Amino acid sequence: MLKKYTFHVTGTHCASCKILIEDILKEQDFVKNARVDLKKEIVEIETDNNQDAEEVATFLTNKLKPNNYILSVEKRLIEKENDLSAQADDVIWKAIPIGLVFLALFFLLQKSGILNLGIGGKTTPATSFIIGLIASVSSCLAIVGGLVLSLSAKVSQDNVSDKKNFILFHLGRLFSFAILGGTLGLAGNAIGINFTFTAILGIAASLVMLLLGFNLLGLFAKNKVTFPSGIFQKVFSVFRKIEHKTFTPLLVGFGTFFLPCGFTQSMQVAALGSGSLLSGFLIMFAFALGTLPMLLLLSFGPASFAHSKHAPLFFKSAGVVVVGLGLFALLAGLAGLGIINPLFNV
Amino acid sequence: MNKTVLIIITLGLIVVMGIIFTGESDSESAQNNIEIRNGIQYITINAKGGYSPGISAAKAGIPTKLIVKTESTYDCSAALVIRSVNFQKILPQTGETEIDLGIPKAGEPLQGICGMGMYSFQINFGN
Repeated sequence: MLKKYTFHVTGTHCASCKILIEDILKEQDFVKNARVDLKKEIVEIETDNNQDAEEVATFLTNKLKPNNYILSVEKRLIEKENDLSAQADDVIWKAIPIGLVFLALFFLLQKSGILNLGIGGKTTPATSFIIGLIASVSSCLAIVGGLVLSLSAKVSQDNVSDKKNFILFHLGRLFSFAILGGTLGLAGNAIGINFTFTAILGIAASLVMLLLGFNLLGLFAKNKVTFPSGIFQKVFSVFRKIEHKTFTPLLVGFGTFFLPCGFTQSMQVAALGSGSLLSGFLIMFAFALGTLPMLLLLSFGPASFAHSKHAPLFFKSAGVVVVGLGLFALLAGLAGLGIINPLFNV
Repeated sequence: MNKTVLIIITLGLIVVMGIIFTGESDSESAQNNIEIRNGIQYITINAKGGYSPGISAAKAGIPTKLIVKTESTYDCSAALVIRSVNFQKILPQTGETEIDLGIPKAGEPLQGICGMGMYSFQINFGN
């Protein structure tokens, strides 16, 4: 005979959690059916098991632990949660000025002209390394760096230790820059890098940043956006599957070659003009190497904050920065495509 | 810290950001960057860490050429797009690029923007 249990669930922070929890629960032999209600934060299961509710909850919690979900018979931590949300309210008011200070400093740096160092003469691997260093704190940081920061902060907030993915991302970036640089050097001028294409890619990146930024700010946490089932669930589960494949971060690293960044484009032209496979290869590789220190900091920095007591403040501030950079990149991208008038001159 | 204080700081920062964004890097619009030689009008724009002057005023109705000067320019301003004349090119790191603007009409400003959309310049044509 089937028995029905209802449990309270904690740790659901995203729309895809519903799918993940249901998948895991349905994998258990004795669970015949499982349904998650994100709004009420409850899980209903049907089972032919005769254990009492506490035991079932403990058993299933063990299965869900790796993903940080907890099932319980009683609604947990109600008071503590109220406390936390009051605290979260305070945190956001601290995070906004902190994030804005970083944004203001970043744009002031762009405006100051310090970054327009004169590097004259021929582009050699040594100069392209220095240009890489400059590019990594320039307005290009708004796109590539913002994307890396939003991903790494999100990943550490979700408590997934994903060092491997970031190492793959950076390896993918280094090698694709080197190989594509070599190809450009060899091809001469066969490959034209299309402005419209890079601008559209930049807009896509800025949308990802805005989404993750709002997520870091916790704006989606209260009324979780639940996607209608059907096609979205399928897209989501496909997305979840490829998320864990090795080639995905490699591919994203590869994709950064085409993201709009004046410095990258200048280097691509330099590689084109270099006239040989080896020199194009070295120029782009040295450039990517120059951008590496800053990007490594952004990739692995958030993880070290994730377990400190300032973690909520850090993630919210990072959210403010990411949203700011995302907005900047979006408006700039739209202006670059000629859709809107340029709103600013940084 | 007090919430009110934090809100005041936030508003202050938003004002600062507004100033950073809208402020001209250097208002060189008075600079003499327009020259007429042999019946052809030449407008010179320097591209490095942005475009200067940001706004130029030129004459309409005469053949006009735009000269964009780069000097070890690696940033976005090297990736120039001028949609109204269908110009899209990554400029050489150092050098001068001549772009034919035809015979501009009065009241139709020309806008150049860098590929990423972070820097732009405008040329107004009048009689």
